[in-house]
Amino acid sequence: MAEPILELRGLSRRFGALRAVDKVTLAFERGRVHAVIGPNGAGKSTLLNLLSGELRADGGSVHFRGEDVTRAPPDRLSRLGIGRSFQTATVLEGLTCEETLRLAAQSCLRSSMRFFRPSDRYPEVNARAERALGECRMTARRSARAKDLSYGEQRQLEIGMVLATSPQLLLLDEPLAGLGHDEALAVVDLLRAIAVEHTLVLVEHDMDAVFSLAAAVTVLVNGKVLETGTPAQIRASPAVREAYLGEEEP
Amino acid sequence: MTARQRVQALLCAGALALLAVAAVGDRFWLQLFGKAMITCIFAISLDLLVGYAGLVSLAHAAFFGLSAYALAGLTNRLQLVNPLLTLPLALAAAALAALCIGWLSLRAAGVYFIMVTLAFTQMLFYLFSEAPWFGGSDGLYLSQKPLLSILGRPLLDLGNRTAAYLFIFAALVLSYFFLSRLLRAPFGRVLAGIRGNEQRTRALGFSTARYKLTAFVIAGAVAGLAGYLDAALYGFVNPAELGWRQSGLLLMTVLLGGRGTLYGPILGAFLLTFLEHYGARLTDHSSALIGAVVILVVLFLPRGVAGLVERGGRG
Repeated sequence: MAEPILELRGLSRRFGALRAVDKVTLAFERGRVHAVIGPNGAGKSTLLNLLSGELRADGGSVHFRGEDVTRAPPDRLSRLGIGRSFQTATVLEGLTCEETLRLAAQSCLRSSMRFFRPSDRYPEVNARAERALGECRMTARRSARAKDLSYGEQRQLEIGMVLATSPQLLLLDEPLAGLGHDEALAVVDLLRAIAVEHTLVLVEHDMDAVFSLAAAVTVLVNGKVLETGTPAQIRASPAVREAYLGEEEP
Repeated sequence: MTARQRVQALLCAGALALLAVAAVGDRFWLQLFGKAMITCIFAISLDLLVGYAGLVSLAHAAFFGLSAYALAGLTNRLQLVNPLLTLPLALAAAALAALCIGWLSLRAAGVYFIMVTLAFTQMLFYLFSEAPWFGGSDGLYLSQKPLLSILGRPLLDLGNRTAAYLFIFAALVLSYFFLSRLLRAPFGRVLAGIRGNEQRTRALGFSTARYKLTAFVIAGAVAGLAGYLDAALYGFVNPAELGWRQSGLLLMTVLLGGRGTLYGPILGAFLLTFLEHYGARLTDHSSALIGAVVILVVLFLPRGVAGLVERGGRG
């Protein structure tokens, strides 16, 4: 078994009486696509928000490459190498694709508290932004304003922003949600290309996409891990079928 | 002409016109345009917050006023007249106040941020109006204007009208270039990200709270520069300068001119300075006139006067 890049030990978070994430223990291995699925309200989004620092855990711990990062805020996690994409399109209004990716690429500077040299005159920032532009396949749309992009393009840009920060681990929050068939295919293809060089944690509803992309799948139900295994094992599991797949697949 | 070229042409023509005023040297015009340029510096510093960092602050007059009072205090109590000493000290006072007020008020967001900044401004206003050692509500006169002399020869005398005017002009040009460079630099790009979506920008690895506080301090220091120049030009400071009315009027200036453009607030500052001056000649109710203009602009030019320039003056 490969070394885990991210480990959760008994991670919990409650909202009032609801245990949204309940003592989740999981290991994400380096270099793999690991999907987290589950019915609505299973705690997938809460789990992702705990991993990216948007929410604080009530109990348990998160370890990234052996370091305890349970209490780290989102900006620190990003600098450590955990990049996340957001489900709702969160493109930065007013910026073009190129400007957006250059901003994300500024994270390669030790600090952005730099007040004089224009940001497009930092060779390392430009190089990184350019690479991310290519990786998310938006080179032809570089000068388009982010808010003028189609929904699918916004998702691609969203993924490009994460890539521009050079993450070691990508947390992707439902990258296919709300996309049409063709747009979804384009994003799945993009994710497959990214997975060659990156470790991905994928929270997703789209079952076909999950089973075609992921090497490991974890099923979350009522905030608890029901089962973790390969896509084939998950498909064959009676417990999963009953709890989850039964609703979707006849 | 592209919009960008039009703006550059407008700024160059404006700068030449301002220098021509200095060449004519008429006392009245030097005073009026000097005042307008000070308002420009003040307005572009607020635009950094309102237009770029998305922070609507009503505390901005506090930094203007504190710096003006700092100059008065240094001049009257310590007999410091050298601007090489008083200017950095006054700016440091404004920046320090901005650090404290910003550190506390940036914990609140949205409308609560506006209320907290308003509360600070009111506190300072009452402190300076009531406390006798600041001259109370009458304010303070400067015993002498800033004077830089080397070996007994005056090099820069802000008591001289033309010298003061040119000094203000240079300060405006420098402030404008400083802020426009800053906005294109990595720091300014992070601010643009914060305005677009703060949560997303934070997830890209930027500690957005630190960037907002730094912007608040820089804007406060530039507002302090405007306050220093104001005290130097008039030789007088009073508590109204750090009241919320002044903050509100400045916010109107920025919105009238067009926030998030830097040159828009400059246009707004000139427009309001002249409206105030000539409005007062036309009617006893010039505030109503200004109010009407602001309402019309907000309704029909949502991007301010700058929106007109960008569309090339066509409707």
